[in-house]
Amino acid sequence: MAEPELLLDSNIRLWVVLPIVFITFLVGVIRHYVSILLQSDKKLTLEQVSDSQILIRSRILRENGKYIPKQSFLMRKFYFNNQEDGFFKNTKRKVVPPSPMTDPSMLTDMMKGNVTNVLPMILIGGWINWTFSGFVTTKVPFPLTLRFKPMLQQGIELLSLDASWVSSASWYFLNVFGLRSMYSLILGQDNGADQSRIMQEQMSGAAMAMPADTNKAFKAEWEALELTDHQWALENIEEELMSRELDLDGMFSKELPTGIF
Amino acid sequence: VNVLIIVFTEMRDKLRKWREDNHRNSEQIVDVGEELINEHASKLGDDIWIIYEQVMIAALDCSRDDLAWTCLQELKKQFPGSQRVKRLAGMRLEALEKYEDASKQYDSILQDDPTNTAARKRKISILKAQGKSAEAIRELNEYLEQFVGDQEAWHELSELYINEHDYGKAAFCLEELMMTNPHNHLYCEQYAEVKYTQGGLENLELSRKYFAQALKLNNGNMRALFGLYMSASHIAASPKVNATVKKANVKYAAWATNQINRAYQVTKTNQLPVEELLLRSS
Repeated sequence: MAEPELLLDSNIRLWVVLPIVFITFLVGVIRHYVSILLQSDKKLTLEQVSDSQILIRSRILRENGKYIPKQSFLMRKFYFNNQEDGFFKNTKRKVVPPSPMTDPSMLTDMMKGNVTNVLPMILIGGWINWTFSGFVTTKVPFPLTLRFKPMLQQGIELLSLDASWVSSASWYFLNVFGLRSMYSLILGQDNGADQSRIMQEQMSGAAMAMPADTNKAFKAEWEALELTDHQWALENIEEELMSRELDLDGMFSKELPTGIF
Repeated sequence: VNVLIIVFTEMRDKLRKWREDNHRNSEQIVDVGEELINEHASKLGDDIWIIYEQVMIAALDCSRDDLAWTCLQELKKQFPGSQRVKRLAGMRLEALEKYEDASKQYDSILQDDPTNTAARKRKISILKAQGKSAEAIRELNEYLEQFVGDQEAWHELSELYINEHDYGKAAFCLEELMMTNPHNHLYCEQYAEVKYTQGGLENLELSRKYFAQALKLNNGNMRALFGLYMSASHIAASPKVNATVKKANVKYAAWATNQINRAYQVTKTNQLPVEELLLRSS
């Protein structure tokens, strides 16, 4: 299809493209601060804290058990995995899967998340569509098929217009996702304006529901620990150490820093 | 005026470095911090609150209750109802030896937030300060049952056990620390020393191995080098070992002696007085 070189009025650049960028950016910043204000404190129970630390200890035992003597390792493994009264065998936690319906705090969290993120996007998208309608805003640098026309050219009823020319609404959505990296620069990593990250989190939310799976986590640790063997790292330490002279460079040869101001 | 500004930034950065490295040079902190607070409060901005906290704790160390009180008042004004500030108030009461009041203060923190580890640990240090080591040990054990990951607590417990001469349990605590910090040569060395103190052939062998590990992690650890020599020669001198083990240990001891001589070779040429030598060898 021939590329008609459409020359856009430079007023469009001044009064449409830039304002939309500013609006998106400012809305993002405001969203970030609002989300901070609305954030509810997630209070962890003592049991949850304790359990997570125990799981960490078991993992450390598996990974670094080779640095302690064999007897000590076996003692700890026995404590965790013993058939009659091992910790992982015996401890059953009352598991309440936090489904959105039953858990009220989760429900309010979800609502707040939706309000701060999705609602403004829809509102402002609609407003921009209404204000800046009837003309083409910009051209995407790659060719698009005709299928994209109704989506990206809302309000422009031109059959022959190349699908690469998009309306202001699509420029707005482009900005919402594109400014994400700007937000990280300006607001720091964990910012509330980062929408795509939030959507990602909602999708992988099921995988991250750790507290509900404490029992399963315990079982997994039990299995992993059963399989672990003790390979003492210090078996031949003397030979390794004495195979070469000690590196005594700089010993006793200079003043030790004493921290005087 | 420019010189004063440079001095101010230097002071603030020094304080930050001490804060991050967890230095306990309280007298210096009090000197620098007091001047910073009195002269340059306006220039510090929001940093001033954390500096207040740092200076307050240092002031308690140096018995400067006046300074501690000022800092506490400022913090209370800015953060009313904060648990962190409550803990500082409790620490001040501890410094004044008003242990009952301090304990009540910490209890009120724990009522609001049972997971607050700082308050629980302060209560244990009250027991330690009062000399009730058996109770302190018991409380610390209970604490560690809940918070198995708290390395500071494990270290404290090992120290308490060593004071009670319960070396077996101290070794257990140090093992936890060695697992979580496998590259820290000081934990290996402490563990080896505890094993050496416990005595008995098996423990001596273990201690020799862990002294060697400490040396492997840090070639300059003189204490571990001496420990290696002593444990090896102890095993070699023991009547219960067979000939091969004896020979091996004699070899280890000889190697250690060699290294020690090498280390002090440098100083022989420097001709330093003995006192300096002893001061530097740790």
